[in-house]
Amino acid sequence: MLVPLTFRPHHTIIERFDPRARWIFSFLMMTAIVYYWDIRFLLFFFFISFTQYFLAHLTWKETRRGWTFIIILISMMVLINTIITSAGTIGAVTQGGHDVFIWNATVPWVGWNIHFGLTAERLWFGFTQIVRLLAITSMFLVLPFTMDPRLYGSTFSGMGLPARLAYSFDLAFRFIPTLARDFNVTMDAQKARGYEMDKVKGGLFSQVKKVAPLIIPVTMNAILSGEDIADAMDLRCFDTGKRTWIIKLTYRWYDYALMIFSGCVLISTLIINHGLNLGNFWMPDWFLGLFHNIK
Amino acid sequence: MKNPVPLVVRNLSFRYQRRSEYALRNVSFEVHPGRVILIAGSSGCGKTTLMRCINGLIPHTYHGEMEGVIKLFGKSTENMGMAELSCNVGTLLQDPERQIVSSYVQTEVAFALENQSLPREKILPRIDETLSRIGILHLRDRETFSLSGGEKQKVALAGILIARPRILLLDEPLASLDPVSAREALQLFRRLADEGFSVLIVEHRVDDVLAINPEEVLYMDRGHLLYCGDVRGLMKVVDYRSIKLPAEIVFKRARKDPIIQFKPILPRASRKQLLTFKNVNFRYGENTPQVLHDINLSVYPGDIIAILGPNGAGKTTLVKHTLGLLKPTSGQVLLGESDTQKCSVAQAAHIVGYVFQSPSQMLFADSVRQELSFGPRNLGMRPAEIVKNVEWAIKTVSLEEELETPPLALSFGQQKRISIAAVLAMRSRILMMDEPTAGQDYWNYTAFMDAILQMPGYEAVLFITHDIDLAIIYANRVLLVSDGRVIADGKPEKVLAEDDMLARSRVLPSSLLRLNQKYFHATGRYYRAETLAHRIYNDNN
Repeated sequence: MLVPLTFRPHHTIIERFDPRARWIFSFLMMTAIVYYWDIRFLLFFFFISFTQYFLAHLTWKETRRGWTFIIILISMMVLINTIITSAGTIGAVTQGGHDVFIWNATVPWVGWNIHFGLTAERLWFGFTQIVRLLAITSMFLVLPFTMDPRLYGSTFSGMGLPARLAYSFDLAFRFIPTLARDFNVTMDAQKARGYEMDKVKGGLFSQVKKVAPLIIPVTMNAILSGEDIADAMDLRCFDTGKRTWIIKLTYRWYDYALMIFSGCVLISTLIINHGLNLGNFWMPDWFLGLFHNIK
Repeated sequence: MKNPVPLVVRNLSFRYQRRSEYALRNVSFEVHPGRVILIAGSSGCGKTTLMRCINGLIPHTYHGEMEGVIKLFGKSTENMGMAELSCNVGTLLQDPERQIVSSYVQTEVAFALENQSLPREKILPRIDETLSRIGILHLRDRETFSLSGGEKQKVALAGILIARPRILLLDEPLASLDPVSAREALQLFRRLADEGFSVLIVEHRVDDVLAINPEEVLYMDRGHLLYCGDVRGLMKVVDYRSIKLPAEIVFKRARKDPIIQFKPILPRASRKQLLTFKNVNFRYGENTPQVLHDINLSVYPGDIIAILGPNGAGKTTLVKHTLGLLKPTSGQVLLGESDTQKCSVAQAAHIVGYVFQSPSQMLFADSVRQELSFGPRNLGMRPAEIVKNVEWAIKTVSLEEELETPPLALSFGQQKRISIAAVLAMRSRILMMDEPTAGQDYWNYTAFMDAILQMPGYEAVLFITHDIDLAIIYANRVLLVSDGRVIADGKPEKVLAEDDMLARSRVLPSSLLRLNQKYFHATGRYYRAETLAHRIYNDNN
């Protein structure tokens, strides 16, 4: 049985834009965002990104899984790369700063000294990082929920990708949900043999080994299906030459406006960043004032 | 000038790369327009290889050593590319789900012409024309996931017909269809042949295909074409145990052969309830339609129950409740005295062993021994007990010599047996099987079912099937399921005698059913055709 896709038409203004214009807009905006570590600029992108999200009229129920994944990902990145270590920070934040918390300890028996120091700059950097990542992820999260799956191939082909690669997007959207369904069937089949996922414990290696009853059958099935699908496509002349797409995409004035706007934002960003040397890490003075007795 | 013959195959032999044996040996035949040709034979006879040679997958995708000639409309296929081949030959694969590559019907049907780079303006009317031709224009804007099994197959067929091939290759087109959908599909294939197509059907269900009067039959065995001619001639040359022939033919021919010994090993019937459904209703979510309606039934020791009904009737949903994989929205499912709401699936697995349709959905271990140990270990059995049960289970399915083999390296039939053994080793009391004979040829599936039901260890067996003959031969009780309701429950002789009920659950009477009904006054119960022949002819002499 084939399984449904995530897309349901919402008939919003967002869905009226040509998908090529929306992908170009999203890529240009993302490129612009990565130039900034200054929250004053990032808030502009954050506002645009969430305006798009709310205009799309998406419900929490629809996007819950996506948001859960994003929140976990961002939390891990900020917690590990910025707060616990400073591996993910940039020069000005890594070197020095104003300590807001210091913790020293000695490991008994071996005598190792542990030093952990958290600076106000790292805290603010973490906050900035959250805003930056939310602006990027929410920009792209909207796309699969507001784009008709029929349009992926023609969209990417229209953006200059080879037909073979462009069609792989169509195929992914067609088969990823089927893969999820196969996973559930295997899960049920193994549960029927007394397998309990929540009892999978132990170290990483042992956990990977214990999910083998799920992963191996799903993978094997995917390989077998893949062979049939490839045959079915070969038998209908896929990739034997030039390809047409029956879905015709047409740019309208507002699509041009959207692409020009995002192009202007990127050009402005390049000027601001390279010409005016603005947009680097910035922390407001009032944030420092929140911590008393800081050094 | 005389029109060239659509397909000529001369002295065709093929051996796959890295294989020592030939998959095809000196196969020769011709196919004329307006004909249905049935290609029959047991698994491994070379049917699929022959189709691949005709449609170009051999040598374009699958490589090996090929000899002989294939001509399409007088032109050798040797130098034809896939584009030219697919304009002449359309192939419908066994599972339409694996053939459908697009999320929507319209783009699915357009796929071949898009790949041939036809202008959009020419493709759009061709889509409508093709969909109309097979009567599914109303499906044009539907998403492919929402289609029924029969509809999916018609859409897959439309995706082929749009390229206007004159030869159609259909690889087991009835495999995933319920009986009524299968009959509709066959009628469609007949109509296409009558319109001038050459239709080649590879099918295990020979009995069903004969209903559309194929003009010719090719019978293959181990790569050789043993017979090529009309249906009447086939009946004389073919072994009725290797492919499924009409029951009347088997009935006439089997009486001189030794009687098949079949005696299920199950406990004597009693009124102790092993499993009980009490007013069970079920829906997947708050705003979704109800799937099960007011199910009331009990399973007793000695029951061999066949569950029949169309795709989407709720059969699998019903069976999943027995194991607690799904819990009723209202009502109760009791395993003995225990409510499945209050026990885990692992606990329920002590009582119910559930074999899923495809063995590849569950096999994963490095060796058969580890595969069979998996269930008992999850159920917390002691190591000595696990060893004992594994040895008993593998012996029961007669695959002792494969204990150290990786299960995924075995043949499909062997994998199926291993999946049963994996459940047997858990020592459950009830065995449930979802489409146990799917994908197996007639000889393999009767051997398989005979073996399963003659295994010791179970108190009751339930199986879901589309094959009414399986219910006739093996079940002592039949459940007819339709629209989430059990509309009939009783002995096969009683339930299958009611044509109205069968029609409601999209079950078609088979030649075996009609034969049994004809002699019911003399036998008092239903039998397989071979046994019936002995009962009627030999017992009377």
